[in-house]
Amino acid sequence: MIEFKNVTKGYDKNKSNALKNVSLFIDKGEFVFLVGRSGAGKSTFIKLLLREIEATEGSVYINNFNVSKLSKKEIPFLRRKMGIVFQDFRLLENKSVYENVAYAMEIIGKSEKQIQKRVPLALDMVGLSHRMNHYPHELSGGEQQRVVIARAIINNPSILICDEPTGNLDPETSYEIISILEEINRRGTTVVVVTHDREIVDTMKKRVLTLEDGILKVDDATGRYGYEV
Amino acid sequence: MRQAGTAMKFSSIKTMPKNVVRDTMKSIERNNLMSAASVLSVIAALIILGIFLILTINVQEVTKDVESKLELKIFLQSDFTDTQKETIEQALEKSDLIENVTFESAEEALEKFTVSLEDYAPLLSGYNSENNPMPASFVVRVTDPNDMEEVQTLAMSFEDQGVEYVRYGQEYVEALVSFNKFTNTLSIVVLVVLSMISIFIIYNTIKLTVFARRREIGIMKYVGATNAYIRAPFILEGTLLGLMGAIVAFLIIRITYYYILGLVGGNLFLPVDASLASPDAVMGQLIFFFLLYGGFIGAVGSVFAIRKFLDV
Repeated sequence: MIEFKNVTKGYDKNKSNALKNVSLFIDKGEFVFLVGRSGAGKSTFIKLLLREIEATEGSVYINNFNVSKLSKKEIPFLRRKMGIVFQDFRLLENKSVYENVAYAMEIIGKSEKQIQKRVPLALDMVGLSHRMNHYPHELSGGEQQRVVIARAIINNPSILICDEPTGNLDPETSYEIISILEEINRRGTTVVVVTHDREIVDTMKKRVLTLEDGILKVDDATGRYGYEV
Repeated sequence: MRQAGTAMKFSSIKTMPKNVVRDTMKSIERNNLMSAASVLSVIAALIILGIFLILTINVQEVTKDVESKLELKIFLQSDFTDTQKETIEQALEKSDLIENVTFESAEEALEKFTVSLEDYAPLLSGYNSENNPMPASFVVRVTDPNDMEEVQTLAMSFEDQGVEYVRYGQEYVEALVSFNKFTNTLSIVVLVVLSMISIFIIYNTIKLTVFARRREIGIMKYVGATNAYIRAPFILEGTLLGLMGAIVAFLIIRITYYYILGLVGGNLFLPVDASLASPDAVMGQLIFFFLLYGGFIGAVGSVFAIRKFLDV
């Protein structure tokens, strides 16, 4: 569950705000696209969710928790509730596929036994069981993104946030990635996909939030790309 | 959420050491050149510090030794009376500055002198208690050599009441005391300056390794690693580098010190009879100080180095 209540975020007093009085509600188990031009406030939206930055005004709620009120020490535990998929993958080059995924479990202190059980399952889910012992540079872009997804869901987050997950991929691979995300969503995880990819948004027919100059312009449940290029 | 957080925190601390040690070792290995550079800088700093430390310890030891042998002699006039002698003796014994007082009569002084002349003793054969040229004296040991002058003033207040003159190695004592102060100050200055340099070098090395692993740190932060978890391997790395430097520096100093001691054979070329501190005791102090110091500057340098990168 994600809720924004009248959220405004300004980085610089002399510039206009990155987000302007944005209110929105994303329910548990939803699949939502967030679209908008560069500079529309999409990155700010994600950074607010991760509590990388704090809202200038208004509050952000995740699972009924006011994120703005978290202390610095609690931020890591907020992030464990979320899985994050980046456009540029952010895999560790010196770790194998298995290690990259296992790493996310090690960090939060899971036992070796749990890791050995869960990692193959997650890799199987994204269809990469056969690549377990390969290194990121040996994989294609689509495969790398699938490793990232496996890493993002390994700790069973309630929310999966994807920042331009198909930005670096060809259309066919992009559809594979999106269908994996859809499968994850079907199992109960809330999925928020920030994207430029108009075709994917239009075919998926999911809820679309459109940001324009920091304002939530369109909230369309029928699933059409909210602005004309 | 808070409850779940605490539970995870405990389990993450439990499994942390293994991962941390593994990551640290990998990091030192991966950054072998940079790690070697920081170990070398710690070695260099500690060798210089070690030389000063050994110097200080020995100067202190020599000073203490010489000080304990320092005496002040109060010579009496040849015609002093028993009353005068009693008055002076009481005044000296009452003083806090004085540890003990012994009276040396003219006869004892002559006898001592005769003995010290050994083969030339017959030269003094013409002298006896009738025409003894030696003055009687009080031999005074002071509590603190810095008070020599005050004791002298005290004794001289009996001038013409039985005291002829006072003698002690004035210039020598002053020189030794001020040299001791000088080496102490110098050692502290060297310690502070070299510590800052070493911390700065470790800081830079760890900053490089932090920088090399900044992607990893970023990923760790996004996956929900705590700051303590992220910090641990870097602090361990810095501390290890510091400790390695300390051990190597200690070995170099130890070998060199014993070698030099063997060469000079304990001869200090000093104008006094004084001994150096026992080498084993010096080395004991040194290794203790080195390990403490190496580990400390390593940890401090790392803490500074990682601070900036934790804000994600």
